[in-house]
Amino acid sequence: MSLTGLYYGKPVELVKLFNTLKSRGYKVIGPKVVEGVIRLEELGSYEELASNVSDIQEPGRYRLVDGGKYFRHGPDSPKKMLYPPRLTLFRITKDYRIEVPEVEVPKIAFFALKPCDLAAIQVMDRVQGCLGDAYYNLVRRNLVIVVENCVEPGGTCFCATMGTGPIASKGFDVAFTRIRDDLVVFEAGSSLGVELLDELELEPLDEKLYREFIDVVRRAYSKARPIELPDKLPELLELTLDSDMYKEIAEKCLGCANCNMVCPTCFCFDVIDIPYYDGSAERVRVWDGCFSYNYAAVAGGHYRPDLWARYRHWFLHKFSYWVKQFGTYGCVGCGRCITWCPVGIDVRDTLRRAIKEAEKHG
Amino acid sequence: MKKLRIAVYKFASCDGCQLQLLNLEDELLDLVEHVEFAMFYEASSDVKPGPYDVAFIEGAVSTPEEEEIVRKAREESKIVVAIGACATAGGIQALRNWANVEEYKKYVYPNPEWIKALEKAHPISDYIKVDYEIRGCPVSKEQLSFFIRQLLIGKKPTLPVDSVCMECKMKGNVCLMVTKGIPCLGPVTMAGCGAICPSYGRGCYGCYGPMIDPKPRALAQAFVKMMGLSKRDVALLFKSFTGWSKPFREVVDEYGK
Repeated sequence: MSLTGLYYGKPVELVKLFNTLKSRGYKVIGPKVVEGVIRLEELGSYEELASNVSDIQEPGRYRLVDGGKYFRHGPDSPKKMLYPPRLTLFRITKDYRIEVPEVEVPKIAFFALKPCDLAAIQVMDRVQGCLGDAYYNLVRRNLVIVVENCVEPGGTCFCATMGTGPIASKGFDVAFTRIRDDLVVFEAGSSLGVELLDELELEPLDEKLYREFIDVVRRAYSKARPIELPDKLPELLELTLDSDMYKEIAEKCLGCANCNMVCPTCFCFDVIDIPYYDGSAERVRVWDGCFSYNYAAVAGGHYRPDLWARYRHWFLHKFSYWVKQFGTYGCVGCGRCITWCPVGIDVRDTLRRAIKEAEKHG
Repeated sequence: MKKLRIAVYKFASCDGCQLQLLNLEDELLDLVEHVEFAMFYEASSDVKPGPYDVAFIEGAVSTPEEEEIVRKAREESKIVVAIGACATAGGIQALRNWANVEEYKKYVYPNPEWIKALEKAHPISDYIKVDYEIRGCPVSKEQLSFFIRQLLIGKKPTLPVDSVCMECKMKGNVCLMVTKGIPCLGPVTMAGCGAICPSYGRGCYGCYGPMIDPKPRALAQAFVKMMGLSKRDVALLFKSFTGWSKPFREVVDEYGK
């Protein structure tokens, strides 16, 4: 029994954990190198898990390099599995009957998911709890989450600013931290997690190792906290509504919606009706985003025809309105919108600037 | 049920877009059960007179005769749909719009005085009201089919208007600009192709033309500042299939000086 709830073991215990999940019939999904990028993909075996690679992430730039111990998440987030980009909602037969397709709900276990992505799932839980998306909730019910704590946050990370990482505190089944090459720290976060760890050869963390662990954690935090959020940020940011800063930032913006697509919490969708020659039709849900021009086109007009207004909406929704709507920030600080913005617009800069601007007003 | 009467017009073009109708091989039998191709020279020499329900117009207007025909097409058709890069943006032949066509004629033809070409190659919308544009070089046959099927059930047809990036990301592609520094017109180009070129590791050539509310100048700046492209290369990137479309033309003119 460990007083801290932390245990340690050799890296081989990770292989055992992986194989246990496999043998329990889970589709294990984790970071895998595909064509020079870390993707979230199904892993056939533990060997397919990305290793001996590192990534460089900067605004608008991603490169994978051989060697190195730590890598960060790539463009994929759990949204890909929980909220697929294209989903048939129902079919309408030619005699106007509605048929909901039988979906095979995958039993997914995320392995080595980053804490920010775990946090994104928790944000989605609130959103989909409100919106009640059937597919999301079905997949979510079976979901097992094994988190790898982030010892080395990357160039576009700001999870510590958003309070979501780099060490996961709740919502996982198992969390592990590679504090040394030959030593992994484990923590169970659910009864299933306890059960899974029970099958491994682990020892409770002693005081010396606990201090080492804490040092690693502290270093990681300092790397992922580029901004300190002021109190009442959501209210404060509303003071920037009339600021010209959004117009200036949007000068660079392309309105391409890459940020919407890679964001692990962006949940907006469009619905397309596809008619067939025989008189039947299909209703399909596809990802959409607030940067898309048509997104704010409504019967009789358009309420955000200018790109700067769409940028402002996206930003304020993540950091201000979302809190009122769902009781949490819409941003988890994963930095994907920074890395995968083709022109490298950095939301951290926008956040800093908006805070300054708001404080001027306040 | 009365069949939808379709006419297919062709101006300066390669025929590739109307060929996409015939390329709908697997569904052609279903299609002709619902539509009548009253005029479709590529398929049949049996041509019936208008009026037509829908005119699909391919090609750019580039001769005085074509100016007359395109106006007639509007008069005898309820719905006018410009299909492909030539009809919607002028296409490849609009590259001559930056040059002197009289000079070209002299180089190419032994009797240049026999050639009656307009000074510029024009998209259809320069002459008549176009109800819908289906983009691409060539257009996608899936889009053509989807468009027609929407008309058949009496629905106002919808087509994608957003960036290729959205399609690319939904398809699960990884960004070529961000991971490889390959210049790509995807962020300013209209979706609809299914992100074909980026799926094969090539940057988007912009053959679908500008999306709604495009920001090509911001992209051009990024090509120079982030990727180190020369101004000439930026101009050449935009000066292709849909280079004569206004938003892309502005970049060509600014960077190609």
